[in-house]
Amino acid sequence: MSVIQVNQLTKTYNETMVPVTALDHVNLSFARGEFTAIVGPSGCGKTTLLNMLGGLDKPSAGHVMIEGQDIAVMEGGALVDFRLHNIGFIFQSYNLIPVLTVKENVEFIMDLQNKPRAESDARVSYLLDAMGIADKINLRPKYLSGGQQQRVAVARALASKPKFILADEPTANLDSKSTETLLELMANLNEKEQVTFIFSTHDQRVIDKAHRIIVLEDGRVISDTAQTKSA
Amino acid sequence: MLIQIAWRNVWRNRTRSLVIVAAIALGLWAGIFSDAFMLGMTEQQVYNTIHTETGHVQINKPAFLVNHDLQLRMDNADSVLVGVRKTPGVKAAAARIQLMAMASTAANSAGIMVNGIDPDSQRSVSDLEKLLMEGAYFPSDRSNRILIGKQLAEKLKVRLNSRIVLTLQTAAGDITYSSFKVSGIFQSFDSEFDKQMVFVRKSELQPLLQLPQESASVITVLTNSLEDVDAVEQALQRQLPNLQVQNWKKLSPMVEVTVSTIMQFSLVFVGIILFALAFGIVNVMLMSVLDRTREIGMLMSIGMRPARVFRMILLETIFLSFTGAIIGVSLSAVSVAYFGKTGINLSSMSAGFNAVGFSSIVYPSLGLDFYANITLMVVVIALLAGVFPARRAIKMQPADALRGE
Repeated sequence: MSVIQVNQLTKTYNETMVPVTALDHVNLSFARGEFTAIVGPSGCGKTTLLNMLGGLDKPSAGHVMIEGQDIAVMEGGALVDFRLHNIGFIFQSYNLIPVLTVKENVEFIMDLQNKPRAESDARVSYLLDAMGIADKINLRPKYLSGGQQQRVAVARALASKPKFILADEPTANLDSKSTETLLELMANLNEKEQVTFIFSTHDQRVIDKAHRIIVLEDGRVISDTAQTKSA
Repeated sequence: MLIQIAWRNVWRNRTRSLVIVAAIALGLWAGIFSDAFMLGMTEQQVYNTIHTETGHVQINKPAFLVNHDLQLRMDNADSVLVGVRKTPGVKAAAARIQLMAMASTAANSAGIMVNGIDPDSQRSVSDLEKLLMEGAYFPSDRSNRILIGKQLAEKLKVRLNSRIVLTLQTAAGDITYSSFKVSGIFQSFDSEFDKQMVFVRKSELQPLLQLPQESASVITVLTNSLEDVDAVEQALQRQLPNLQVQNWKKLSPMVEVTVSTIMQFSLVFVGIILFALAFGIVNVMLMSVLDRTREIGMLMSIGMRPARVFRMILLETIFLSFTGAIIGVSLSAVSVAYFGKTGINLSSMSAGFNAVGFSSIVYPSLGLDFYANITLMVVVIALLAGVFPARRAIKMQPADALRGE
């Protein structure tokens, strides 16, 4: 059963003299537990698609149905709350809160969800342990390497127990060793938690790990293929 | 956690925050201290007016104060005084005769106001004895003594034990003369008082003016506290319906106007300083918000409601302003307390100060209610200053903000 259903999704930017169509009648669906990479050249619409899936931007036409709810028509606080409870985000430049420690960064999202303290503490411990950064719990992000910061970001994205995670070029700023480690950890959590991961990426190592590869070009899906998991 | 984040955010750019905290602290300190200085000055003026001239309440025949006519005297002043002293809230009372006269010496002459007092009871309502800069306060073994102000002594070119001839009009309207020896020279904080007022014994003035022994023209009353003044005034007026009973505010309206004006001006003055500082606070908070565009975009993306982002920015503004305010108010409280004890000596400018009835040693003073008002004003200014940057933050679209736009 699909978690996300995208129908005729179109996004046109009218901010310049010539309107730019970033997404052109895209139809897609994502099932629970998928590990999907969206690939394509720069400007093909990967980030725009992720923004639409995450409710961060409004489509010009079409629908984004998440478990039967159309987030394209949601507004204000309802949309923010929907994101809080259903979607996890991982950003290219980590985007951790610099004034909070590793623990607090992961805890923060559960604080927004008003989760009980005990539940939140247990989840933080589990996730930081799973991401291999339990020893960094009281450090602030500036004392961590890029790879470690991105692991914290993954833990934060998973902390709210989202239905799916959107990751925009998550390995773009990482060295190859950090990328390998991060991908392994995400793949393990994907299996354990059965969370849908959707990446936009240029990174071949991410593409190799993906179960499904969607290729975009000029805002259109030009290929959508499943691939066998790499060993 | 919002409070924790807001507090830590304030200190992310330590230099920027410290600059505005220092500006708030110094601005408030300057405003509060100058207000305390002005209030201290006016409080002393009130004290001096009450303890050298008017008392808290004064009783006389209606119209007496128009030209100090001896015919408008109280012939039964001593029995009135007994009733006045028994009135609740009255601390002390003294009667005196007051009339205009001419003082002459070989060198000069001057129009003066003669006050015939009972030295002992006058001591209980006036600081005259404390104001003596030389000489003695009516030595008991000497008669026909007079106390005069420093300015008058200079004008008449007299010193201690010099003789002054007073030309007076008796109750019958005849002109009489009497010679008095200067036993003391006083200096108050009001040069006009020192130029005009002279004090002699009432018991020596009464026969000279052919006045009955019980008579007086003015009764000066001191109350237990300033708060008792209105109640005592009303009680005495009820008790003495044929006499005029007035409090110090009516007797010295200029002092009252000065006090109330300065009280209002003090808060306006600090308000102006805070208003100016508000622009600095807005600027710092706006820079802080713009510096964190991506972060605010991330916060809204992951599920932080705009209202919560708004609260976070307001909290940061309040923390920033309050840190400055606490330092500024503490500095003010310490300096006001210190100088309130030691005083600020402005004797180099004493001529100017005394000409308008102010003391040249100023003891800054500020009530707790003023500090409470300042705290309230800081909260209001911080909230107002925080609204613009906070609105700016929540107007951001998450997708644009994440791109740093």
